[in-house]
Amino acid sequence: MTQGLSEQPVLFGSHAALVGIFTRPVAAPDATRPTLVVLNTGIIHRVGHHRMFVTLARTLSASGYPVLRFDLSGIGDSDPRTDRLSPIDAALADIGEAIDWIEKTSQSRRIILLGLCSGADHAVLYSHTDERIMGVILLDPSIPPTLRHYLHFVVKRLSNLKSWIGLGTLRSRTLRIWANYVAAAVWPRRSSLHPTKLRLVNRHTVEHHYQSAVDKGIRLLAVFTEESTRQTYREQMIEALANVNFGDALNLEFIAGSDHTFMSETDRTRLTDIILDWLATMPA
Amino acid sequence: MTPFYFGTQGRRLFGIYEPAAAGTSGRRAALLCSPWGSEYIYAHRSLRQLAIRMSAAGIHTLRFDFFGTGDSAGDMAEADLAGWQHDIELAIEELQAVTGMSRVILAGMRLGATLAASVATRRPSDIEGLVLWNPIISGPAYLENLRNAKASMTLAGETCFIDETWMVRGFPLTPALRQQIDAIELLPVLTDLRTRTLLLMTDHAVTPPGLAGQPLGKIDIALMSGVAPWIEDPENMGVVPVGAVQWIADWLG
Repeated sequence: MTQGLSEQPVLFGSHAALVGIFTRPVAAPDATRPTLVVLNTGIIHRVGHHRMFVTLARTLSASGYPVLRFDLSGIGDSDPRTDRLSPIDAALADIGEAIDWIEKTSQSRRIILLGLCSGADHAVLYSHTDERIMGVILLDPSIPPTLRHYLHFVVKRLSNLKSWIGLGTLRSRTLRIWANYVAAAVWPRRSSLHPTKLRLVNRHTVEHHYQSAVDKGIRLLAVFTEESTRQTYREQMIEALANVNFGDALNLEFIAGSDHTFMSETDRTRLTDIILDWLATMPA
Repeated sequence: MTPFYFGTQGRRLFGIYEPAAAGTSGRRAALLCSPWGSEYIYAHRSLRQLAIRMSAAGIHTLRFDFFGTGDSAGDMAEADLAGWQHDIELAIEELQAVTGMSRVILAGMRLGATLAASVATRRPSDIEGLVLWNPIISGPAYLENLRNAKASMTLAGETCFIDETWMVRGFPLTPALRQQIDAIELLPVLTDLRTRTLLLMTDHAVTPPGLAGQPLGKIDIALMSGVAPWIEDPENMGVVPVGAVQWIADWLG
């Protein structure tokens, strides 16, 4: 898998404190190919769940796309920042520094951000603030629930014996998640929810970020998994963000049966194929 | 901190070297050996903190990924225990070359600890001390645990089977690797050790079955409970077990 590829460990950022692996084809790069930047999923380091980002980066590089996987400050091997930025602002600053490093070392100004879960949320938040971003690949981004989502969710839970046991014993994870969201709404300063979720949980805010990205000409590939608790059907993103005019900027995919972290190798292969197909449609 | 690749052309390994903090003696060096599979993913944060704590205590550290894991070359299905023991030996030589130390400390967690103990018995003259954090003591028991992954994990899924390969929380466990793991028996290795050793058990505060009452000459046993950073814990995501990390640093003192 690593034959014909170059994998280079890199340190970058204002204090050379951000750690990444830059994967690229050994053969002369095609300058029209964009460079992908892979963001952390929560606090999992740049390797990703089930090592999925290593495999993905190598496969994409074998197809001619350079890929930078790196750890945001305070995650994985990267040191925390010293400039007292909030966690979300620090993450956005880190992404900017990663893209600066790519531009400086390979002169590429055609960047695609890729992230799963919080990584997808970071990608959306950052995308419209930097003209070098030409696309985002969003794996299970935060999408506001819809009435149809709740109906699907409740029906699914009611048909699950474990849910009944959890409710009966007050150990239900769903109950805890919803209680956290209520608590976040009532006492936002005391909430333990990730700031990215809070930033994106408001529908109007989410719509603003997506519309801004579309207005900047950024193309979006959104891939949703069936087993995630965030969305339960393919069109939820469209219905939840009804005020966003996506035009033809959005490609929407739904992988039936996949869990949130793409644990199955079959689902990871399917995801890779989807990404490669989408990349092939990017303008030269 | 320096991330780099080392090893051979066919076996390129990723490592992160953390020098001893400025102002410390810097006269010792430690190699950290990671667990396998999802345990590697979740333990990464704690092992990094262990390296930082060791650095502050004046110990140069090298953390590295076994072949076919993490950022190292190779596919996950290419994993084998003999190869990983060879990786530890390569990493020892790399650490010796970088620091100029002739003897190093080996510190491993879970499967990484078991492999480190095996290497320590083969190369006693290279090893100054050994830290075994919840090593795999019985291969068959570990395999049983992996097979029943669903029972011990809440979010990261269960073991499924593709032909002869077990997919354990997304990581392939091939028949060959299973056979090698099945042959693991740590007790004879422990009784053979001629190196000062800390056996740190942090998930349950009891001496592991099979070790109680055994003559374990140079081994100090430390017991804690409720600390298992190699397991995904949605209630304590990202929490570093500072007590266990400090215990190791104090023992190395």
